[in-house]
Amino acid sequence: MATTRTALSRAALALYAVTAVTAAAAASSAFFLWARGASAGLAVAAALPPSLLLGIIALASRFLSNALPLRSASRSSIAIGHAGSAAAASGLWVLTWKSWVPALNQQFATHLAPDYSLLFGLGVVLYLAAVAVHYLVLEIEALREAEDEVLRYRVLAREAELRAFKAQVDPHFLFNSLNAVASMCGSRPLEAREMAQRLADFFRLILRLGALERITLAEEIDLVQRYLAIEQVRFGERLTTHISVDEAAARCMVPPLLLQPLVENAVRHGVASMVEGGTIDITATLEDHMLRIVIDNPADPDRADARGEGIGIENARGRLSAVSEGRAMLQAAEAEGQFRVVIELPR
Amino acid sequence: MIRTVIVDDELPARELLREFLSADEDCEIVAECANGFEAVKAVAQHDPDLLLLDIQMPKLDGFEVLELLDRSPIVVFVTAHDEHALRAFEVHALDYLLKPLSQERFQQVMERVKRAAGHHDRTSVSGLATTLRAKPLQRIVVRGEDGAIQVVPVSRLDYIEAADDAILLATSGTKLRKQQPLSEIATQLDPDRFVRIHRAYVVNIERIEKIELYAKDSRVAILRDGTRLPVSRSGYQRLKELL
Repeated sequence: MATTRTALSRAALALYAVTAVTAAAAASSAFFLWARGASAGLAVAAALPPSLLLGIIALASRFLSNALPLRSASRSSIAIGHAGSAAAASGLWVLTWKSWVPALNQQFATHLAPDYSLLFGLGVVLYLAAVAVHYLVLEIEALREAEDEVLRYRVLAREAELRAFKAQVDPHFLFNSLNAVASMCGSRPLEAREMAQRLADFFRLILRLGALERITLAEEIDLVQRYLAIEQVRFGERLTTHISVDEAAARCMVPPLLLQPLVENAVRHGVASMVEGGTIDITATLEDHMLRIVIDNPADPDRADARGEGIGIENARGRLSAVSEGRAMLQAAEAEGQFRVVIELPR
Repeated sequence: MIRTVIVDDELPARELLREFLSADEDCEIVAECANGFEAVKAVAQHDPDLLLLDIQMPKLDGFEVLELLDRSPIVVFVTAHDEHALRAFEVHALDYLLKPLSQERFQQVMERVKRAAGHHDRTSVSGLATTLRAKPLQRIVVRGEDGAIQVVPVSRLDYIEAADDAILLATSGTKLRKQQPLSEIATQLDPDRFVRIHRAYVVNIERIEKIELYAKDSRVAILRDGTRLPVSRSGYQRLKELL
């Protein structure tokens, strides 16, 4: 829809451009002839065909303007390119005059020959004016595209937020944790009480952080640690964690609940798939204004159903791209029984 | 006495089942298992009356455990996933328990178990468990003659060959034998990836290098590793439809 509209408006614009340049060329050259004594009818008849040719050539200069964009091409190549083509176009327009006028009226050609150097100058000026208009149109289009892009990112961000909100925490995590609480009630009531408290704190934190636009990485890591402490009770010795975050990295701002679903994946599809369990390794560093977060965990390459994790990673990627307007990167790779997610987020 | 095996990969979950069971004088725990491998071994060793079986476990899930059992105890699934619990009845599990466990519900289920224990048929239900596995199959479990269990993801299969009433699973040069008709597994595999090219062969189409005319109306499929498999006329039709 949008593309057809652009194409239509481009065609209309082209028509206007040809008409405008043709009219301007015809009017001014006819005026010159009339001023030298030609009759008005003859002047207009003589001026129209070469002017139409100039109009079409001026329209074609759009392609040259496209090839020499203002933002990226060097100034000298723009200047040389357009000066050369202006001279060529104007030369062609004068040549058309020279061959057209005698064909129209022999007597007119000998006595009232137009001032060809004046016509040449006129051709150059009109051609360059057309080039200027092309550049203006190109700039307006670029501006509109940039606005569309921003809008697209905003919609993406909104969608990703909604999805993230729905997928915040796997409800089975809650069911399994409550089962652990129930289990401890009999033999270890104090631990059961503590576990209930941890669960409540974790969900409170999810609600609080989830409502914010951005949080520090330190806050996100705190959330992740609380989550892992609860899973630790269920998995016991099967789950070990190692977290190392640079001081500078800890102060970086990140979208809330960015890491939590990824760490949840690392437990659910990673450590939980291993009979012996394993270590979840999280490191965050800040180098050259680039925040780099790596989550490493073992995973059984033969585990059934690997679909859930794909969704979690897609969600995280969508949110990252939305908040960074496409500048951040998230890579997930699996090799030799190790699953690794790498996030790079420019500061 | 109801001789019981508990299977769950989480210690607190096993502890809770143990606590509930210890309150029941008619029950005795003969083994506690933390994964599917241990469960298969424990059932073979103890031939229990009751199996309390978690579903989501490393390596072998609960359904795969059932498929590998020679003798079938009464099965009660214990899971946090109610969508799995519904499938429990399809594999003739007696009942299911949802986590977190309720003691009242546990007692009700145990009453059912005791009523059923008298006339329970212990012959294997593995055939049924196999037919009712989630489709398309993502991995195939095989128990070797020595009792060792192997899990083969279907993506690693080159082809499957019929051998009497069993099948041979060919994966990069080695062949694993499994007691199952070819016609049965053929219907469980992803039809976009596996084609029955012959009465005795199902092939992973990603492994096919080319098809050659061998004689009039008879063709051979040549796999990437050079293996040549016969292609019947109807098998060729099926291949053509897919490619």
